[in-house]
Amino acid sequence: MQVKDSVRSRRDFGLLAVICLVVQIALAPNIALGNGRANMALVFAGLASLMIGGRTGVVCGFVAGLIFDLSTTGPIGLMAFLLTIGSFVTGIEGRNRMADDFAGSMSIFARLCCAVTVGYHVAMLLVGDATSLVDVIFLRSVPTIILTMLAFAPFAYVISHETGSALSLGGKPSKSARSHGSRYDIGNL
Amino acid sequence: MPRKGGSTPPSTRFRRTDSDSGIRTCIILVVLSLVMFTASVREGDNGGVFTTMRGAWMTITTPIRWVGGAVTAPFQGLGNIFTNLTTDQGRLSDLKAENERLVARNAELEESEQTARRLESLLGLQSLYNLQSTGARIISGSTDSWSSTVTIDKGSSAGLSVGMPVTDSNGAIGQIIKCGPTSATVRLITDENSAVSAMIQSSRAQGILRGSVDGTIRLTLVRTDQTVEVGDTVVTSGLGGVFPKGLPLGTVLSVERTSGSLYYEIEVEPLASAESFEEVLVITSLTEDQKATSEDVAEADLQDTAPSAAANAEASSEGEQNADEQEDVSEDTEYYEESSEEG
Repeated sequence: MQVKDSVRSRRDFGLLAVICLVVQIALAPNIALGNGRANMALVFAGLASLMIGGRTGVVCGFVAGLIFDLSTTGPIGLMAFLLTIGSFVTGIEGRNRMADDFAGSMSIFARLCCAVTVGYHVAMLLVGDATSLVDVIFLRSVPTIILTMLAFAPFAYVISHETGSALSLGGKPSKSARSHGSRYDIGNL
Repeated sequence: MPRKGGSTPPSTRFRRTDSDSGIRTCIILVVLSLVMFTASVREGDNGGVFTTMRGAWMTITTPIRWVGGAVTAPFQGLGNIFTNLTTDQGRLSDLKAENERLVARNAELEESEQTARRLESLLGLQSLYNLQSTGARIISGSTDSWSSTVTIDKGSSAGLSVGMPVTDSNGAIGQIIKCGPTSATVRLITDENSAVSAMIQSSRAQGILRGSVDGTIRLTLVRTDQTVEVGDTVVTSGLGGVFPKGLPLGTVLSVERTSGSLYYEIEVEPLASAESFEEVLVITSLTEDQKATSEDVAEADLQDTAPSAAANAEASSEGEQNADEQEDVSEDTEYYEESSEEG
């Protein structure tokens, strides 16, 4: 039933947001690879834009970025800015890509992850918090990208393989959609 | 177009028009975030609405951080376990703890000895580490990959404030840079932006201890006419007025002297490690004997100015040929003074 699906969808999406928030605050700071730490705000923004996209995806990206900014010592608004743009672009490119398309969604998220992480670190370089671009790229950005991709993969796998899950926004997959590798026939978007 | 059964099919529900692509929302939020970014950078550490927001956020999330720290604490030593599989862990841990205690104790005693020799007639024997401090526990590491920081479970409600130095049982680990009501963020001495006025304990050679992105710390601005040996203990000089004088920071790991350079390149191994999630001390105020005396300042100035004057005189005698080198000396001297103030 549509109403039930919608309610379940919202509930599960809220749960996803809470999981990402808790992991970002409680676990991510304590699990490091060199100087890199997983960016769960980026993971959540990626999931939101790949699952829903559009206005909701953009708002989710902004809020996630703002929370990330509040949790760090960097300037407030930088990650919010990057995730807003990243979510918008990803939402256009990959909306509804999560369902049944794990590899595709990973590929799109990898691009988003690289762009946002490098952008963030280069911006920090430009505001004078570092002196070497090589350090910024290889000692900070690359470990962060690796950890963030590792954090994103389980979510993407579960969501893309969860048939009929509310996280995939409800409804049974149409035959034509399955034949095109997508859960829904999104028509002339 | 609705399908059979009257319910809206997924294809219709998720069909977006151009107006639903979020472009308008995106533009509004981009502008908002840019305004926040600009205001935040302009605000800096002076306090304001963003500092308040961050403080409130830190307060709200402190319990979650605390739980996260407690949950991950057992896994912090996994790296050591895998590295030292061939060694008995109990024995290794005991030896390491004993070694750290003895190194810290040794540094403390050597500092006491040095100070006693120089100031015995004036001050007598005093305890160097009569610290006025508050105990706290590290509950979280750095949230981002940009900075080397830790979060402690005490904040302004416990009397802490920005700028206070933090130590563990081995020596100084950093300084508070953000302070909320119930938690505070400490910038470690290994952070790239960290600078602490330090000196070689045995030779009293003054310098600035700086962190780096690769996690090592380096003692900079120590002139090559000073004596520095591998294994020497590096302690705080107290010149910056932030850290108490004589607090151990690390031991000299390597000393390099580049031909033509005025300063050594000294790599220092930190004594303290914030990775083990333990109790720390936040030094809330310094007593008079923990601050650098006028003699220390004069000694630091002498180390800096005497060789500069000599270099200048030498440069003058050799004529214009060495004009560039002379300029370097002046610039470095200026930089040293600025760094000392920062530290």
